[in-house]
Amino acid sequence: MLMPKKVKYRKQQRGRMTGKAWRGSELAFGDYGLKVLEPGWITDRQIEASRVAMTRFIKRGGKIWIRLFPDKPVTKKPAETRMGKGKGAPDHWVAVVRPGKILFEMEGVAVADAAEAMRLASHKLPLRTTFVKRPSLSH
Amino acid sequence: MATATQSNVLQANPRTPGNKNDARRVRRDGKVPAVLYGAGKDAISVALDPRHVSRILHSQTGHNTIFDLSLDGGEQTKAMIVDWQYEPIKGALMHIDLKRIAMDKKLTVNVPIVLKGDAIGVKQEGGILEQILREVEIECLPADIPTAIEADVTHLTFGIVLRVSDLAHGDKLTFLTDANQPVAHVITIKEEVAATPEAVAAEGAAPAEPEVIKKGKQETEEEAAPAEKKEKK
Repeated sequence: MLMPKKVKYRKQQRGRMTGKAWRGSELAFGDYGLKVLEPGWITDRQIEASRVAMTRFIKRGGKIWIRLFPDKPVTKKPAETRMGKGKGAPDHWVAVVRPGKILFEMEGVAVADAAEAMRLASHKLPLRTTFVKRPSLSH
Repeated sequence: MATATQSNVLQANPRTPGNKNDARRVRRDGKVPAVLYGAGKDAISVALDPRHVSRILHSQTGHNTIFDLSLDGGEQTKAMIVDWQYEPIKGALMHIDLKRIAMDKKLTVNVPIVLKGDAIGVKQEGGILEQILREVEIECLPADIPTAIEADVTHLTFGIVLRVSDLAHGDKLTFLTDANQPVAHVITIKEEVAATPEAVAAEGAAPAEPEVIKKGKQETEEEAAPAEKKEKK
């Protein structure tokens, strides 16, 4: 599971997710990508599940890039605990995404295979996504 | 090799330069705000039809297309698109940078690299062709800008890297990108091994926490040693 090696602080506040992803919103490595259309949190488990879904479908056919990293800790209080007594312990990690962000990129496979792999990956995510490809591929 | 010079005319309406609210009003009217500069003349703010700009950007010559820019049906100047911004979700054009072009002066442009052929490493050895560099920076006269630099990859196999120095080009242009930079190579991908139930359980059971960077200056071993000596005295 993806997580940072070192952090400055163990716990973080939730923060806001306003605006669009003006950076990381265009394909940088591969020919195909999965773009998110809503703001939200994507957990380390969801990223891993998407990666496994894609790699199992394309087998040894292509290369995958993961363009998001879960660097935000999420805390959770133990079950059946009364409120108060401070913030809970870190439970898992999430990546904050804004609409327009490219989540995954792929290269070395046919368009139909890439679209199907991305569709399978998108089913593991809690947000609406769309499949994108390089404009030069349509020539 | 086809060049990027085209004989189409793009109509531009001058607008008063302003802030983001003015630019937003231009977009609401169905136009895209743009700025025209270069050739030692003053910069002019203009509004363009986004459909015409998209047609140029998606043409075979792409952003290197040189066209005639007509300012409100009057003055005509040779220009090309040097920068453009897309809205991240819907992909609509947000802003365009246009540059005046002097046809007798050399200019620097990025030209796409097109890989031709099927690599041996892909066909016979089951590898994947990875293109690392998609555009190469060149210097040439505007009339000599090629639509693309074609690179033959049929000889590529594991361990052989296609570099910028291997790209074929005429005498009319010079590469500015580092000649040693890799363009494409054949790689292999390890197949995903299905995780054993024990491994899954181990990973789920121990959610290790990352190291927390401590505040203040950290005392190193060298600094700690003299302090110990002083204490002994």
